[in-house]
Amino acid sequence: MSRREGSLEDPQADSSISPLPHLEAKIRQTHSLARLLTKYAEQLLQEYVQHQGDPFGLPGFSPPRLPVAGLSAPAPGHAGLPAPERLRLDAAALSALQPLLDVVRRHQAELNPRAPRLLRRLEDAARQARALGAAVEAVLAALGAETRGPPAEPAAAAAAAAVAAATAATDAGVFPAKVLGLRVCGLYREWVSRTEGDLGQLVPGGPA
Amino acid sequence: MPAGRPGPAAQSARRPPPLLPLLLLCVLGAPRAGSGAHTAVISPQDPTLLIGSSLQATCSVHGDPPGATAEGLYWTLNGRRLAPELSRVLNASTLALALANLNGSRQQSGDNLVCHARDGSILAGSCLYVGLPPEKPFNISCWSKNMKDLTCRWTPGAHGETFLHTNYSLKYKLRWYGQDNTCEEYHTVGPHSCHIPKDLALFTPYEIWVEATNRLGSARSDVLTLDILDVVTTDPPPDVHVSRVGGLEDQLSVRWVSPPALKDFLFQAKYQIRYRVEDSVDWKVVDDVSNQTSCRLAGLKPGTVYFVQVRCNPFGIYGSKKAGIWSEWSHPTAASTPRSERPGPGGGACEPRGGEPSSGPVRRELKQFLGWLKKHAYCSNLSFRLYDQWRAWMQKTHKTRNQHRTRGSCPRADGARREVLPDKL
Repeated sequence: MSRREGSLEDPQADSSISPLPHLEAKIRQTHSLARLLTKYAEQLLQEYVQHQGDPFGLPGFSPPRLPVAGLSAPAPGHAGLPAPERLRLDAAALSALQPLLDVVRRHQAELNPRAPRLLRRLEDAARQARALGAAVEAVLAALGAETRGPPAEPAAAAAAAAVAAATAATDAGVFPAKVLGLRVCGLYREWVSRTEGDLGQLVPGGPA
Repeated sequence: MPAGRPGPAAQSARRPPPLLPLLLLCVLGAPRAGSGAHTAVISPQDPTLLIGSSLQATCSVHGDPPGATAEGLYWTLNGRRLAPELSRVLNASTLALALANLNGSRQQSGDNLVCHARDGSILAGSCLYVGLPPEKPFNISCWSKNMKDLTCRWTPGAHGETFLHTNYSLKYKLRWYGQDNTCEEYHTVGPHSCHIPKDLALFTPYEIWVEATNRLGSARSDVLTLDILDVVTTDPPPDVHVSRVGGLEDQLSVRWVSPPALKDFLFQAKYQIRYRVEDSVDWKVVDDVSNQTSCRLAGLKPGTVYFVQVRCNPFGIYGSKKAGIWSEWSHPTAASTPRSERPGPGGGACEPRGGEPSSGPVRRELKQFLGWLKKHAYCSNLSFRLYDQWRAWMQKTHKTRNQHRTRGSCPRADGARREVLPDKL
């Protein structure tokens, strides 16, 4: 593995204790989880558009990609950032996604009460986003990098504001709420896929 | 028009939604400063309408710079572009739409009515809910498993198709006192069912009904009154065993155990047996198996695999006079009759164990003869069992009745024993 920020090699480590296999295993596990969740996120998106009706599922359907409070898509320059910074952004996004997926699930429970599979996928996605975010933070900690997230209270306040904003969107009408859900499911897919890619670069033997 | 009270939501115009602050979530309609982008508001927002009614809607454009025009705007409904003649420009910034004779909504989340700019971009959307108010649910039926719970099923009115999400709520209360209760475990045995798991009283009637509600109104079923004890069912009889009766080629013996949950109460229980040939779908049912846990099937085909099932009706629980409710059938149990060179009879009947005769004429006459023998010749050990053993022996040795002699013990009143020949039977 090349020497770069976030490298697994630690020349200061006591040679009698080798944390590398443990760290490698953790990275592989988290990468595998991200890969699995990428597949689930794709399935969620397909299930979601089916239940909103056309034009949501039609090719070429393109509502405005307006920003969601507290969360945006991976920036074009994300791939060029150092590994720990990428993982920090991944973890922060996954953490922000969980309450937004909860809002979408609650609204879909009113709009599509007879779609148990959709509701279950949304519920699972919220839990999975949190789990993957925690796993990425554990990898960061094992790498010796600071997670550098916001302090707990401001983070909770930011999450509450995002939820309030999303709830306000649902109050503005059903169509905007459908679009919000599509946006959130799309962001979930983008960030899980981005996390898989970022971890893949850390897996020994993976692409540099 | 369908029955049901009109609901509060059947209106064709609503207030336009408020604008959102820029710092909060940007939904469709929030302008991007300096971008020249236009946004719009559709009115009414998310209306609920009866099938066959009409809709008048408007798309009002806002924008930066001002002076956004309605020219070039168009509508789509569920992704399909609406004919231009359905639209007209009301003023410089407003495009109107008139839809008549609306069909029921295509999806329960609402039909997507969208206002587009000339370049196809989405300016605003509104969801239409077109359907019918619910009709009165009917045909409520309920049963209690082992007196511990109550499950009810019903049929939605109008075959359930209201095109709108319709919520069904099963309510119940004790007839003479108590408050209304609402069932909470739905869809347990189908889409229109509910299960009440506990806290049910016996020996006192319940009133049960179903309320159906959707955006266009509500309806209530008739009230069903019942006592839990009159609608009891139980588990299928366990441990069903089917076995051959010696070498008898046309008989199988069926044995089972009383359902354990009610075994202390099944004094008058009824049982039913059904059986079929392995490669047939036609079941034959034996009905008159009352309060016993064994039975013999007769008149079967030799060398044939039969599937057998048993079910129980806990009739008369705690003195109930009602018919009771049959359990599910037990899991199929299979057995085969012995093979024979001679073709067997095709009919079927159930002979209870102990050799009680069936309704066949030969066996009726035989029963009469055996009864006479016991009375006049003191042949206390003569029985159908002995007769069946003789039949099995006959089949085994392939000899006719006129060619064989067998030993039986039939003491006379004076104590002398006498050999009984089968041909004298």
